Amino acid sequence: MQTISAVFTYTFKEHVRHKAWLSSALFGFILLGGALVISALGADERPRLMLDLGLAGIEAITLVSIVFLTVNLILQEIESRAIYLILTHPVRRSDYLLGRFLGTLAAAALGMAIMAALHLVLLGLYGWWEPGRYLAALLCTLGKAGVMGSLALLLSLALTSEAAAMAFSVFFWMLGHFSSEMRFLADRSGSAFIKTAIVAFSHAAPDFAHFNYRDFWHATAPGAQWLMWAGVYAVAYAGACLALSVQLFEQKEF
Amino acid sequence: MKYRALAVAAVLFAVSLAAGTAMRALYEPRFPPLAELQGGAFAFQDASLAAAGFRAPAADLAWIQLLQYAAGSLPEYVDAPGKGYEHLAKLSLRVARLDPSFNRAVLFGAGILAWFHGVDRPDEAAELLRDGMRMSPDQKLYPLYIAALAYKKKGDSDRMIALLESSFDQPETPSTMKAILANLRQSRGELKEALVLWIRILENERDASEHGRARAKIVELRAALRGRQGKKQVDGRKHQ
Amino acid sequence: MNAISFQKVSKIYRRSHLGKTTETVGLDGLELDIPEGEVFGLLGLNGSGKTTAIKLLMGLHLPTKGEVETLGRRAPDVEVLARIGYAPEAAYLNKTLTGRENLRLFAALSRIPRGNLEKRVEEMLDRVGLAHAADKRLSEYSKGMLQRASLAQALVHDPELVILDEPVTGLDPLAIKEVRTLILWLKSKGRTVLFSSHDISEVERVCDRIGILSGGRLVKLMSQNEWRGKSDVIETAFATAVKRTDGVGPIRME
Repeated sequence: MQTISAVFTYTFKEHVRHKAWLSSALFGFILLGGALVISALGADERPRLMLDLGLAGIEAITLVSIVFLTVNLILQEIESRAIYLILTHPVRRSDYLLGRFLGTLAAAALGMAIMAALHLVLLGLYGWWEPGRYLAALLCTLGKAGVMGSLALLLSLALTSEAAAMAFSVFFWMLGHFSSEMRFLADRSGSAFIKTAIVAFSHAAPDFAHFNYRDFWHATAPGAQWLMWAGVYAVAYAGACLALSVQLFEQKEF
Repeated sequence: MKYRALAVAAVLFAVSLAAGTAMRALYEPRFPPLAELQGGAFAFQDASLAAAGFRAPAADLAWIQLLQYAAGSLPEYVDAPGKGYEHLAKLSLRVARLDPSFNRAVLFGAGILAWFHGVDRPDEAAELLRDGMRMSPDQKLYPLYIAALAYKKKGDSDRMIALLESSFDQPETPSTMKAILANLRQSRGELKEALVLWIRILENERDASEHGRARAKIVELRAALRGRQGKKQVDGRKHQ
Repeated sequence: MNAISFQKVSKIYRRSHLGKTTETVGLDGLELDIPEGEVFGLLGLNGSGKTTAIKLLMGLHLPTKGEVETLGRRAPDVEVLARIGYAPEAAYLNKTLTGRENLRLFAALSRIPRGNLEKRVEEMLDRVGLAHAADKRLSEYSKGMLQRASLAQALVHDPELVILDEPVTGLDPLAIKEVRTLILWLKSKGRTVLFSSHDISEVERVCDRIGILSGGRLVKLMSQNEWRGKSDVIETAFATAVKRTDGVGPIRME
């Protein structure tokens, strides 16, 4: 535990002190300002627009940051050889990977929390105040970021190329939003083989479509039990990706 | 031992499959498939945002473009001479297909097509409402508007207005529709009722986009009512 | 008891490119035992296998053949790393951290109990002469300061076995003297020290025994009584034992 916590702490500090993190937080503020300006064009729907566009901006920044950070997380340590010194201490490779991943997720979550606090203040000024639902939407975004980050980490270790890992991460991000479409396609398909293949693929890809709480809460928002299962899904899927990453990482030589 | 992490991954993946199934059984978002998104000038914008998981923000941008079109300032969709609001139904439906819970877009489009001064295209409005109802069957204002359209077709304006006014304070009712109702009352010479509606618009924060017009209308209607009262008093004295 | 034992160890690097696999021999049947308390120097040209041997000891590489043991345990063994200190040829440290944070990280990774950690960190910063710069980020450190920080992380947990990869390469004469003093101090405390170097005079002054590597093979093993009081013994042995394996010919200026 001491090892994971030590790796977590230095990873968190490393990210928060990095210019890229500060720039992305700044870009997030610009997006929130943009949401404020654009929502003024929405007439009766101004609070809805501010809510949607602000949350979308927060999510976009968080996802882009987490993909960028996790893809580079291990590859850059290998390139700078800083990994030599870490792994020549009594550190299990799984602990190192977990500490690095959690530190990155925490840095992304901190950025998200700062942007969300500002967003919530702006929403409050325009008469929208539902912190419970807002928190649920943020947690779903964090779950998505966790899944996406673990997947990007796995891809970076499997492909050992930052560009390829980033391209595949974006592909999976898109694919994750087609989970309902894929199941719809499977239902329509006449061939049992194609149907099974599509269903298998739709389950293997992360199910991001069901994490868009901020997209479907204008209709009937799902309840606490759904949120609990969504949390289990995110933790288990990210855990599976991390375990696969550990499998690859344990065979690596430096 | 060599494949311990692989075994852990398999177990966790199985847990995620079970949790995903439980999650989907509890709630399935009701979005039309991406294939049903509308083509046209904004097809790329809609498809890319929806594919990246931003359907609600895509619907919000489509709503702004719908308002711009209604105001005559959307260069991608310009009406042919003599064909006012010819793209209104399509652009309203575009919003609803991105996010079916964006009921106000459909109500706004249908309201203008059916009751806006000089438009009068109730069939198109009914079609739009039926599409909206198919995507969002729980929305109570869609059947209410369809019923109001039926009264309009029968020429029963009293019941039509009464029905529409019953939804006046519903949060989904577009401010534009409220303004249309107030104007309908005024056009029927019911100045007092029109004044009450404009006051209700002015008192509602959500109708801020109509507040400027409401203030002007209130001044105009109060003056007209005073004039009418003055005329009545003069007429009364003449009779005496 | 042996602190280090190489038992017929070979390491072959395989690289695949466009379907073609090339093999490079890193170590070829190395057999070497280093008893506890000895200061051992590994000499050799670039590419002779010094760093490969050290990486095998530290678990950064896995042997293709044979077995490596450190402190009686078969490498790689995460637990035994808590008793080993390692400083690589350059200070591969995370430059976003301060000197103190960096040492705190490695102290925690080395499983120094939390209660004792701060005291140990301060003590070590003082010992390597970095107490005045402890709160500066490593990105602001000079090369000499970074080398000290790297040595500090190798010694913070008071290891039984210290492995230094080219510790004097690129240092100024004063710093070289300090490293020499450090090795002799470790020897006086009964610690085992293995270090690799190109610098014959340095090896001569501090080592109990030396091994000369060439082309991945141990070509010469000498003990102190073979060179003590005689001049150029190691240099002569080195010149006759090693063969250039990097394909570069000698410089001829006659």
